Amino acid sequence: MLAQDLKIVVEPAELTLDVEKNAQLKAKVVDAQGNEVSGQQLFFYSRKGKALEVDSTGLVTAHLPGEHQLIIIAPRTAGGERLRLNYPVKVNYPPISEIKIEEVPSQMYAGTTLRLQVTVMDEMNLVREKVPLKAISTDPSVAATDTYLNLKANKPGKATITVTNGEIESKLNINVIPFSATEVMLESDKDEARTGDVFHFSAKVIDDEGKEISDAPITYSFQGQAEDVSSSASGLIKQDGRFVADVAGMYTIMAASGPYVAQQTVKIMPRQVDRKIELVGKGSVDDKHTSDFWVWEGVDGRDYAVTGTWGADGKAYFWDVTNPSAIERIDSIQVDARTVNDVKVSEDGKICIISREGASNRKNGIVIIDVSNPREAEIISTFTDNLTGGVHNLYIYENHVYALSDGQKYYVINIEDPENPKIVSKFELETPAHAIHDVWVQDGIAYSSNWSDGIQLVDVGNGIAGGSPENPQQFASYAYPSGANHATFPFKSQSADKFYVIGGDEIFPYGLDVNKENMAAGFLHFIDFSDLENPDEIARFEVPNAGSHNYWVDEENELLYASFYNGGVRVVDISGELMGDLYKQGREIAWIIPSDPDGYIPNAPFTWGAQPYKGHIFYSDWNSGLWAARLEPETPEETTLESR
Amino acid sequence: MKKIYLGALSLLLSLLSAQAQDYYVYVTAESEDEVALIKFDGSDTEVVKRIPVGVWPAEIEGPHGITVAPDGKHWYLSLAHGNPLGFLYKFETGTDEKVGQTTLGLFPASMQISEANGLLFVVNFNLHGDMVPSTISVVDPESMSELKQVTVGTMPHGSRITPDGMHQYSVGMMSGELFEINTMTLEVSRILNLDTNEAIDPQMKDAQAMHEDHSQHSMGGDNAMASMSGMAHQHSATKPTWVMPHPHKPTAYVTGNGSDEILEVDLEQWKIVDRFKGGKGPYNLEISPDGSKLVVSYKSDGSTGIWDLKKKKEIARIENIRKVTHGVVISPDNKYAFISVEGIGGEPGTMEVIDLKKGKRLAYAELGKQAGGIAFWKMED
Repeated sequence: MLAQDLKIVVEPAELTLDVEKNAQLKAKVVDAQGNEVSGQQLFFYSRKGKALEVDSTGLVTAHLPGEHQLIIIAPRTAGGERLRLNYPVKVNYPPISEIKIEEVPSQMYAGTTLRLQVTVMDEMNLVREKVPLKAISTDPSVAATDTYLNLKANKPGKATITVTNGEIESKLNINVIPFSATEVMLESDKDEARTGDVFHFSAKVIDDEGKEISDAPITYSFQGQAEDVSSSASGLIKQDGRFVADVAGMYTIMAASGPYVAQQTVKIMPRQVDRKIELVGKGSVDDKHTSDFWVWEGVDGRDYAVTGTWGADGKAYFWDVTNPSAIERIDSIQVDARTVNDVKVSEDGKICIISREGASNRKNGIVIIDVSNPREAEIISTFTDNLTGGVHNLYIYENHVYALSDGQKYYVINIEDPENPKIVSKFELETPAHAIHDVWVQDGIAYSSNWSDGIQLVDVGNGIAGGSPENPQQFASYAYPSGANHATFPFKSQSADKFYVIGGDEIFPYGLDVNKENMAAGFLHFIDFSDLENPDEIARFEVPNAGSHNYWVDEENELLYASFYNGGVRVVDISGELMGDLYKQGREIAWIIPSDPDGYIPNAPFTWGAQPYKGHIFYSDWNSGLWAARLEPETPEETTLESR
Repeated sequence: MKKIYLGALSLLLSLLSAQAQDYYVYVTAESEDEVALIKFDGSDTEVVKRIPVGVWPAEIEGPHGITVAPDGKHWYLSLAHGNPLGFLYKFETGTDEKVGQTTLGLFPASMQISEANGLLFVVNFNLHGDMVPSTISVVDPESMSELKQVTVGTMPHGSRITPDGMHQYSVGMMSGELFEINTMTLEVSRILNLDTNEAIDPQMKDAQAMHEDHSQHSMGGDNAMASMSGMAHQHSATKPTWVMPHPHKPTAYVTGNGSDEILEVDLEQWKIVDRFKGGKGPYNLEISPDGSKLVVSYKSDGSTGIWDLKKKKEIARIENIRKVTHGVVISPDNKYAFISVEGIGGEPGTMEVIDLKKGKRLAYAELGKQAGGIAFWKMED
């Protein structure tokens, strides 16, 4: 009997089930004439067991709706080869059970509009998306609806809005009352400003007796004309009255309530924060890729830097950077690793920690180095407990190391005795397939970057949530949709009295070729964490076609030093309240790109990180090593602002 | 005269035929994020192609395990470091284009496809710290979907399947156990403690595994407790790293990386019946298709041993060019062993070719850093 003459047949030939229902499959192997081949055992497998379960007898149980597939295999047949059948099973979506109309005011003023917010639930109590809905009013002359569930109150009276999907419906009784408004009044905290400065508009609706109608809905919008005739007058306006303009020009802000509109025109001038930046020095690494770096003041009062290496021979280099125009390589340490991705130095300048990935024995972990004399850096200890899978990033803070363990969690390691480090705790999320990329500690708070789980704020000694290094306590978080959270840096803004946390992306849309030029993508997300319970993503800094990587905030001067892979170092004015597109607003003060014809990959800037230090900016580049630049001092602020 | 002429012609044809035989092998470079395809023509090697692999470009993702489907049309690659879960990639042989992928467990490593049902069994080595039981992912290579994770020992390694495809074997490196999975029911059928040579009831093991699953612990105080508990775990003295069933006998061979020995396990008695002392740190092993020779990588020694299984004697030991000898495959004609050698630090990895009859290295190829997983693809005239 030839294998091609045999096949698996199943009864029923097709299967559709409701959720939590089951069915018994009867499967057999038959020959070309349809006769059952005896003695042939069959095995059933589900491609997605959580959604559709099957046991060894072929009993199928549906758990989740959708199109699923079973695999039925006969391992050995009389024909000598195995047979396989892919058997589709459709599990019906449960019927819609409820249409919830959310947040509806008890009454509407004639002439005003609102958009109905609707949630559709099914019988499994799951939220259903993209369900077609219809809305019908009993009296459109009182309250009318459209395809997008916008509701317009036309005249005083009562109407019922019915939102339906099939036989499931939800009703909303609308009471439209007379709108006694006579005007909308609009005020702002200023009438002229620079690009990037945030206005606070405040509007109120006044009735025919001169009283405020406090519950009248108000919508803010703007239109403008840019100074530059080829530019759009762009900006961002929030429905709480905050407005920011991207480019110089004249902008008119409007506050509308029903048919009543107030407007105010403001003048926006260029921010004009540009400064010159000049290259000061370079510490070349031209035989391998360079990774992260750290600059510190040594115990002898001189200034030093350590740089890591990537995809190479496990070296970390030490540099004397006291004179940034004459950066001198003074020592190196080689460990068993292919990548020393991260390097950090203790507050007292005595201990350096470096991460290991690609160790020959796959016990990666961290290496603790005595840098009391960076010219003779000496390994104190190597610590691999629970860190064997690889340490990509780490941080040192108050005698503790915060070390990532293979992109899954971080361990807190006490190094009071650096020869005998000991784990005192770990932090790990509970989410499915949780991952982590980086951790940074400041003021007793560990800020970790957790890809799709976003930014996590953990008390490791600050006291805000009763945490300590031995007992890390998470107290706030924020995740953004792209899921590309790769770095995090806090920023307490004195001028705005706000607590921002800056989350950075890392994205390689075209992959990474370690031997060629590359392109990156992604930007910095500014999240206002002033209200820890309700973090608000409020601004972004994106350099076109560059791709964000690591960055540093100088809180005293309210400057951001951001490295963009293809865009070098960007110095950004982050003073005052932040909102909208900081790049478009002209907040960029200066930029410098580390392009090196003698680099490991020549003329291929790929900037890794930046650190301001004693009046200079140090930055590392993946293809060329360590660099130093100097930003021209700020010119005295002019007393009057003039448009260009 | 005619006889002599024909004899010479036959010998010449035979020699030409032997010389014309090409062997193709895939080798992973774990710290280079690439896979190399190497051709060996009987005397020399040629790196035909270097195939970059990975998802997160700025990180080492560690291509570790590799296998070629029995029909030779696809090869499969495990990427150890994901986000954090690792991946299984499916490539088409010849074009070496990626045609599918699925997510696995933590640090997926060695793998093989069952001849019986066509399913792929890949160990989730879980090199991530806590010493907890990990799993074998069972993947349907056709749809590239993970059907099940079967819980086994701590740091499972060395997924090898019997020639009939009905049983898969792996070892728990840190728990010192040999696991047998029924490839059709996807259940653990037998466990052998390699330190004590005692069978373990799989149901008892299940209960223990649930107890030790630290992944259920998470934030706050539990975090500290979990790490402490993990550190207190006993490690195996045998530290087995590889297992392979004999192609013709009910026997399996296990490398005792910690005890510097090769264990012979009688699969019918389900016990260790012999032990062979070899080089230091035996890591992977392979048995020739004719069942006569066993080739073992001595990771700590940086050498390769060839054993005569009938005599139970090491008949040759070859010093490898670099340190950290890793994987072994043997050509289907029983002539050659192909050995991957990781190297240290910035050194390139290598693949060495050993003549099994002469017990000598014939050639080698320089590859990316940390050459590890190795899979034989095809012989070609």
